[in-house]
Amino acid sequence: MVEGIDGSGKSTQLYLLKRWLEIGGYRLHFTEWNSSPLVKSATKRGKQRRLLTPTTFSLLHAADFADRCERQILPLLHSGYLVLADRYIYTAFARDVARNCSPRWLRNLYRFAPVPDITFYFRAPLDVAVNRIMSGRPKLKHYEAGMDMNLSLDPAESFRIFQGRILAQYDEMIGADNFVVMDGTLPVNKLQKHMRQFVKTRIDLSRFAPKKAARRAR
Amino acid sequence: MSPRSKGKNGRGKSDISSTGTASRNYGLPLPGINEEELGGSLIVIEGMDGSGRSTQIALLTEWLESEGFAVETMGLRRSGLVAKDIDALLAENTITKMTLTLMYATDFYDQLEHRIIPALRSDFVVLADRYFYTLIARAAARGIERDYLHGLYEMALRPDLTFWLNVRPEAAFEREFRKSHTISYWESGRDLSLSDDLFQSFIMYQAKIKKEFETLSERNGFLAMDGEASVAAVNTELRKRIAAHLGIQRTHYRPSAALASLWR
Repeated sequence: MVEGIDGSGKSTQLYLLKRWLEIGGYRLHFTEWNSSPLVKSATKRGKQRRLLTPTTFSLLHAADFADRCERQILPLLHSGYLVLADRYIYTAFARDVARNCSPRWLRNLYRFAPVPDITFYFRAPLDVAVNRIMSGRPKLKHYEAGMDMNLSLDPAESFRIFQGRILAQYDEMIGADNFVVMDGTLPVNKLQKHMRQFVKTRIDLSRFAPKKAARRAR
Repeated sequence: MSPRSKGKNGRGKSDISSTGTASRNYGLPLPGINEEELGGSLIVIEGMDGSGRSTQIALLTEWLESEGFAVETMGLRRSGLVAKDIDALLAENTITKMTLTLMYATDFYDQLEHRIIPALRSDFVVLADRYFYTLIARAAARGIERDYLHGLYEMALRPDLTFWLNVRPEAAFEREFRKSHTISYWESGRDLSLSDDLFQSFIMYQAKIKKEFETLSERNGFLAMDGEASVAAVNTELRKRIAAHLGIQRTHYRPSAALASLWR
């Protein structure tokens, strides 16, 4: 799975990895952070009316993740699928600690999540990442910009401070959570080459290409 | 971490308090909340459906208001944020246990932060029609680790008093059935496939819940009450304990005409 702040290039890289595996015919499932229809209405309501506190913001995302975990990720892992995740529990650890949630409480909250085989951490300097986001998406949303924390009255400045805090949290997890650090400033194709190489050495991909293998075995 | 006795209003707290510890939380403070600003009292009534909780809360509210106390209530699935979503999930019946546990936790913390804490800041008496203890008991009965659950609710406020209306599942079943002519799918633990027979399933499930409550009671010092005694008898006992806690001298109370039908 991939992690990194907004604008670090992680989604592009994971998309390319997914295309590579799809074209190769591997059995895989792709999942995104915050994608379950189950809690979408609550998250939307909470965001629109600005009802969310750091704690309920965190809990709603955990509920959403639990739904994906129990209904997709775990059953698919058990049935021999390769699961690609665009953001995982480390997103919650970095973002919610930046919102002053307790790290101990958060680590307990997500204890039910399976530990990933590989965690790619796309690291880009704050300025590079923020500029990528700001040039493509002029209007920042309230929670996305971290406006709920009163960091600054200016959304762009608030976003910058918030992303800086998140970046610091990610950096702290590198060693303890075995992140594979990727330099987000390298050219896209070069990064993708590294990523594919790393996946090949770490994971026996033949396990996920069962169709041909199974026929041959019969 | 303010000791209870230093509540904003300086009201004397008797030693009947079930907690006896200094902190108002279970290990972690809520982000952004200064516990020293909190006055008032948090009083919890626990007990299964059919144990008479809501009747007692209606009576206690009237009594406290007649004594000049401002009262706020809370209960499960009453948050502005996710109550409707939980209703929909329960109706759909495809929800998995961890997701449901976390949706209930969201509902609980939303009420804690948007209802209980503002009320305590304004020196209200908060009467909770169930608290997170029920949520722990239900989730533990479904196989979620108890450590995990206690960690989840580590930032909850510790109640000043917790009453546990204890009834035999058989008696609760009868009361509920008489009231609504049916037993709820979830309250009888049908999702656990304990028995095809509704009555059996209810009894077995409530026995599991009760076991969890016994452990919780030891850990948190619940005041167990006989929920099968008459409404008036239970109410008198509750008022006695609460009066001692709040420093109310006179405990005489007769329900108004509006609530008289509850008094039996």
